[in-house]
Amino acid sequence: MLALIYFIVLAIIAVGSAVCVLLSRHPLYGALSLVASMVSLAGIYGLLGSPFLGVVQIMVYAGAIMMLLTFVIMVLNGARDSKTPMFDKVSLFVIPAVIVLAGLVGFALVRSPIAFDAATIRGSVAITSKTLFDVAQTGPGYFVLFEVLGVLLLSAMGAAVLLAKKRLGSVDSEKTEDNH
Amino acid sequence: MISLGLIPLFPLLGCIILGAIAIISSGSKKGPAEGFVGTLAVLFPALSFAGVALLAFNMPDAGIRETVCNWIDIPMFRVDIGFLFDGLSRIMLLFVTGIGTLITLYSIGYMHGDRGFARYFAYINLFLFSMVVLVLSDNLLLTFLGWEGVGLCSYLLIGFWNKDLKNCQAANKAFIVNRVGDIGFLLGMLCLVTIGGSAILNYDALVNFVQMIINGNHLEVVIPILSVAGVLFFIGCTGKSAQIPLLTWLPDAMAGPTPVSALIHAATMVTSGVYLLARLGSMFALLPVVLDIIVVIGMLTAFWAAVAGLFQNDIKKVLAYSTISQLGYMFMASGVCAFDASIFHVFTHAFFKAALFLGAGAVIHALAGEQDMRKMGGLLKKTPVTACVMIFAFLAIVGFPGFAGFWSKDLILERLFMNCTMYIPGFTIFGTEVPNIPLNGVVYAVGLATAVITAVYMGRLIILTFFGNYRGSKESEEHIHEAPAVMLIPMVILAFGAVFAGYLWADSIGIKFFAETLAPVVGAAQAYNAPAVTAHLNPMIFAGLGTIAALLGMYIAYKIYANARIPAAKGSSAPEGGKATWTFLFDSLHKYVGIIPVNVLAWICDVVVDKILGAAQWTIGAIATILGDGAATFQVRKVRLQIALSILGLIALVAIVLLTGGTF
Amino acid sequence: MELQAIYVQILALVIFAIGLIVAVSRRNVFFVLMGVELALNAVNLSFVGFAKTLPADASIVGQVVPLFSIAVAAAEACVGLAMVILIFRNRDSVDADTYSNMKG
Repeated sequence: MLALIYFIVLAIIAVGSAVCVLLSRHPLYGALSLVASMVSLAGIYGLLGSPFLGVVQIMVYAGAIMMLLTFVIMVLNGARDSKTPMFDKVSLFVIPAVIVLAGLVGFALVRSPIAFDAATIRGSVAITSKTLFDVAQTGPGYFVLFEVLGVLLLSAMGAAVLLAKKRLGSVDSEKTEDNH
Repeated sequence: MISLGLIPLFPLLGCIILGAIAIISSGSKKGPAEGFVGTLAVLFPALSFAGVALLAFNMPDAGIRETVCNWIDIPMFRVDIGFLFDGLSRIMLLFVTGIGTLITLYSIGYMHGDRGFARYFAYINLFLFSMVVLVLSDNLLLTFLGWEGVGLCSYLLIGFWNKDLKNCQAANKAFIVNRVGDIGFLLGMLCLVTIGGSAILNYDALVNFVQMIINGNHLEVVIPILSVAGVLFFIGCTGKSAQIPLLTWLPDAMAGPTPVSALIHAATMVTSGVYLLARLGSMFALLPVVLDIIVVIGMLTAFWAAVAGLFQNDIKKVLAYSTISQLGYMFMASGVCAFDASIFHVFTHAFFKAALFLGAGAVIHALAGEQDMRKMGGLLKKTPVTACVMIFAFLAIVGFPGFAGFWSKDLILERLFMNCTMYIPGFTIFGTEVPNIPLNGVVYAVGLATAVITAVYMGRLIILTFFGNYRGSKESEEHIHEAPAVMLIPMVILAFGAVFAGYLWADSIGIKFFAETLAPVVGAAQAYNAPAVTAHLNPMIFAGLGTIAALLGMYIAYKIYANARIPAAKGSSAPEGGKATWTFLFDSLHKYVGIIPVNVLAWICDVVVDKILGAAQWTIGAIATILGDGAATFQVRKVRLQIALSILGLIALVAIVLLTGGTF
Repeated sequence: MELQAIYVQILALVIFAIGLIVAVSRRNVFFVLMGVELALNAVNLSFVGFAKTLPADASIVGQVVPLFSIAVAAAEACVGLAMVILIFRNRDSVDADTYSNMKG
């Protein structure tokens, strides 16, 4: 019972923040609403027996990703095109379409019998780390994925630096050098 | 004993070697050495003739047969390449190769100075090869190979001087009209194969088959289909031997060099039709209806061509119509199952017609290309040897007593009267009964009338060409000269033949050598259709009537043309007015029956069917374009719109999966 | 009334739908990225929700895979923002409609 109440509250916050993302004019407002939504989702994770995941969500998503997004919004002055209309003909077409899609999927979901199982493991730190790193017990599967993920993050970092770097001798670098 | 395969092999080798010479020397301006090429060209036909002569001497009565190899061997159809040397093919081969050699010799002189010298002799040798194969083969399919081969060589040689469009058109006409006849030959073979399988195409097998039918009394069963086959084969013969209705190509074929006209369109190729009838004589003997058709067509052709010959001004065209007329005689003889008489006339006709053509060639050569008789005259003193040759040949063709044509033509007329069993069936009119009216007298009378007209137009030719005063221009008169020896020798030899060849079967004086030679081949067929009652008429009556006809014709020609004032020749040598209508009767027939409907059909196809097909194609293309454009509207410029459309697609997929019960 | 599994899935569906709408119908490119992040979050939620319906051995999957999903989302956000910076240098605009070069 209590779980349900907590769930409803967190759900309302999550959906409300999502709608705020939809309707906000300034990207920074949207980013902040997104952060709120993510935090509430972290709470729901905790409710569902994955506290480790919830904390990781706050640390990585809300802490790192959104910070990066906010940083870039501010650097590029993301609000400069705020005069453009928020919703146009495409939106008018998309919104009903997505609603229909969601309706169909929901219809399928509702008809399928799912129920919580009592014997679910609670995803604590110990369990999660054992699953990931205890190769003898669980086999090498997740460990390899973990390492690959590390490589992926490294390559993403390298790619981002390369992409966003100012080229030596390009117009922008001349301009900043002139400004000095 | 030499192999039969050598006889066609020699001209084939000659063709290949001469063709190679022609191709190799095609780059040079002057061409190969004429002496060398000429010697080679005459060598091969001469070798072939020598081979035939060797084989001819000791030939057993039943003939020599030789199968060289297998040609076609598929299920339900098996044909071998084989040769058959019996009395009929011996006769044909002797004069084909002999006259071929003589005419090749003549051509060396006639074609002197022509750039296409080597090519000409290559074609001549190819023709001799095809003709030998035609005559020597032992089955219908190989004969058909030779048949087509002579048609091809006719085309190549008529259009030999191919820079002139008229020659090419004449060659096309010859080939195409022949082709129409060949369809008949092919379909005839097909009819035979349907009753007897592919083995029946062999001549011996055909004779055995016919014998079996007669012995077993199965006549009523096979006569319908054999009649159809007979008519079809006869259509092939009308094409090759220029009878009604496929005769329009022969006068136009005179566009080729004169030796070609002599060899192909007088002596050898056009007689293939008569040869075919003789070969298939045992089959035709069973078909009275077809035989009657052959007699009627032969009769009409002979008469029509004789009258047309009277209207011509070109010396070669007169001889062309004369050939058609004489071929009509041969077909009349075949139609009353007198195959030996028809082959005898083929034999004598080859000599005197070739002599006439070679003589005409010498005249044209002497006058430097002039062919219109209205511009000739008085050549007797200037070219005496040519004149002699032509006069002898003229006496032969009109049937003057003692010359070759007398024996053969009167034999035909006699057989026509004795053997013809056509009649008009009896009927009742006004209460009186009219009995069957026999028509052999009518046929004989038409044949005799044609003989008179033959004498008239041939006499006209001789008088206009050799007698009287020269009507051409003064400059050409100084250049008139006798032909060189290489041209004269063959002419003289042929003139000898025109005089003496008839004595091989001088019926009245008892020499029946020719008939005895042919008896093993055609005897059974002739006996089958021999008349039940032989009217005992003295053969001298027919000889006498024939002589009277010839003399009458000569007298008429003398009366009309000897001292007549020939109107000055203006324009072309073609006949005009009513004469043109008669001459070009069958050309007009072909135009209205064949050419105009085909043109209309072609126009319909071009304008109507083509447009319809084009519209159908355009429709399919338009559908594809519309579908493509429709599909292309889903490629949009804006990224968001594209994603939105993808979502739409996703919705559709999900809906389908749900509605069809899911994929799990 | 108890908390039932279906509620979690419905919530995930709603957040996914809203994320999709944001991603496609907003013209500002940052909103597109934010919509994508929302959708990814919704998917993670769905994973965890299903994990709770499974017995012990299988349920740990549903708690480990979202971990990887978060890491991949991080990498994707990083590279995506770098590309936004790059395009911004050329077009000088954050309006997604100006990035349309595809010919129809």
